[in-house]
Amino acid sequence: MHNNEVRRLPNLGFGLGLRTDHYDSVIAERPDNIDWFEILSENYMVDGGKPLHYLDAIREHYPMVMHGVSMSIGGADPLDRDYLKRLKALAGRVQAAWFSDHLCWTGVDGTNIHDLLPLPYTEDAVSYIARRIKQVQDFMERPMLIENVSSYLNYKDSSLTEWEFVSAIAERADCYILLDINNIYVSAFNHEFDPQEYLDHIPVERVGQFHLAGHTNYGDYIVDTHDHPVIDPVWDLYADAIRRFGAVPTMIERDDHIPPLRELLHELDRARDIARPILEEIAA
Amino acid sequence: MSRLHILQSKFQRTILGAEDMLEKEIVATERLSVDRRIAIYAEAYRLRLTECLRENYSALYTLLGDEQFDALCRLYIDAHPPHHYSIRWYGDRFAEFARHTAPYSGHPYVSELAEFEWKLMEAFDARDARPVVLDELAQLAPSQWPGLRLEFQPCLQRVELTWNVAAIRNAVDEGRTIDSPQRGDRPAAWLIWRKRLTQYFRSLDDTEAWALDRARDRATFGELCEGLCEWMPDREIATYAAGLLKQWIGDGLVTKIQTDP
Repeated sequence: MHNNEVRRLPNLGFGLGLRTDHYDSVIAERPDNIDWFEILSENYMVDGGKPLHYLDAIREHYPMVMHGVSMSIGGADPLDRDYLKRLKALAGRVQAAWFSDHLCWTGVDGTNIHDLLPLPYTEDAVSYIARRIKQVQDFMERPMLIENVSSYLNYKDSSLTEWEFVSAIAERADCYILLDINNIYVSAFNHEFDPQEYLDHIPVERVGQFHLAGHTNYGDYIVDTHDHPVIDPVWDLYADAIRRFGAVPTMIERDDHIPPLRELLHELDRARDIARPILEEIAA
Repeated sequence: MSRLHILQSKFQRTILGAEDMLEKEIVATERLSVDRRIAIYAEAYRLRLTECLRENYSALYTLLGDEQFDALCRLYIDAHPPHHYSIRWYGDRFAEFARHTAPYSGHPYVSELAEFEWKLMEAFDARDARPVVLDELAQLAPSQWPGLRLEFQPCLQRVELTWNVAAIRNAVDEGRTIDSPQRGDRPAAWLIWRKRLTQYFRSLDDTEAWALDRARDRATFGELCEGLCEWMPDREIATYAAGLLKQWIGDGLVTKIQTDP
């Protein structure tokens, strides 16, 4: 069920996840080596005060995309209409280029675990989730990206690989993929697969954004903690991803032990330095 | 119920500690057992919510310390799994829970501080509304005063405090050593609000608390003055009531002066 004509999403360049710690620096310094910000949608689904004040002030100078954690697109509960209404209002407010959420579920039977819980990789789940993504995209009137999550277990129900699952849903829902390079690395370690094989099976034209982040290695397993700089093997995997997918908007996520903005900008420059020669080589 | 729904319900009950039904569903590997894989999720769930409560109730966390605060969190998390799509709202029943759960119920400052901190959060991101300025009061004709009613900021919160919990929160915000909890003679009225981006709280004397609560219930200025007879000599009422209005407007609390009947 391939869509032959998939329009690629615009290349916004190199961005960062907007965090409260950096509000003042961003406004005061207005750095020109951040091309765009990704906002955590739920943090701005409030009525007023500081969150929306800073959001509007920063949006004046930077394009934004939205990244959610609570849609539970793979959850068995019905889609939350109130949530989607607020999400759409926020997308209008920041004129989001697109919105994303995770290919996971976050709770069931009315509970929200506030975690990105793993799905069984089955044909049934592909159909169910693709149908829901279509509903969400129709309602939101904007492209949706689904992100591959880090996971720590696999179900016996699964009959597909993770990359088959992600690709099939994107094709069938006609949506895009937010490819988290670190999550591929983490899950490859936890489930003992080859991250390169993962990359090689993701449809090029579906990938609209990359995430980069750090993690914590506990020896037997790795947890996607977003509290460290990106490690070298993930940078290497990023280079492989640029080789395969070309110029894709790239951003760094940091959610804990958040360093000063300039430190993250330095890390973002490393992404630029990795991507540039590869893209030049491809162009030549 | 779909297979997906059954699997997710099992998973969730396992994380919540209600049952342990997931083992048969998960693939084990040599490196990592099924138990350990499930525990990664179960531990992350509790840790995430505890961190959220530590943040939402920063003064209570400082006052009780890691061990006691986390023990309260464990009980609360078991009793109240989250339902809202935003974790920002987690802990909305923390004060009520502490009020009715031993041993915290024997230390009423715990629930009182929790209630105070939750109301601060509500003021933090409540809807913005443009405050009226004193000039608008000056433009009123004397005949309009008795009938005027006020509308107040959506962020405005009222709370009664018997303990020195506002001072405790203040000390924590300013990084100072906190006093031990001290009980006052009787409950005192407090007002919490936000002016532009800054949060404020202050105590109210009985008269102002009465007048503010009545004004928020849509009493007219004339009705406020009538009621104030109970509290002060007649000749002082007009000046006092006008003073209150100016104070409320100066604090940015008032969003509309309504003069229609």
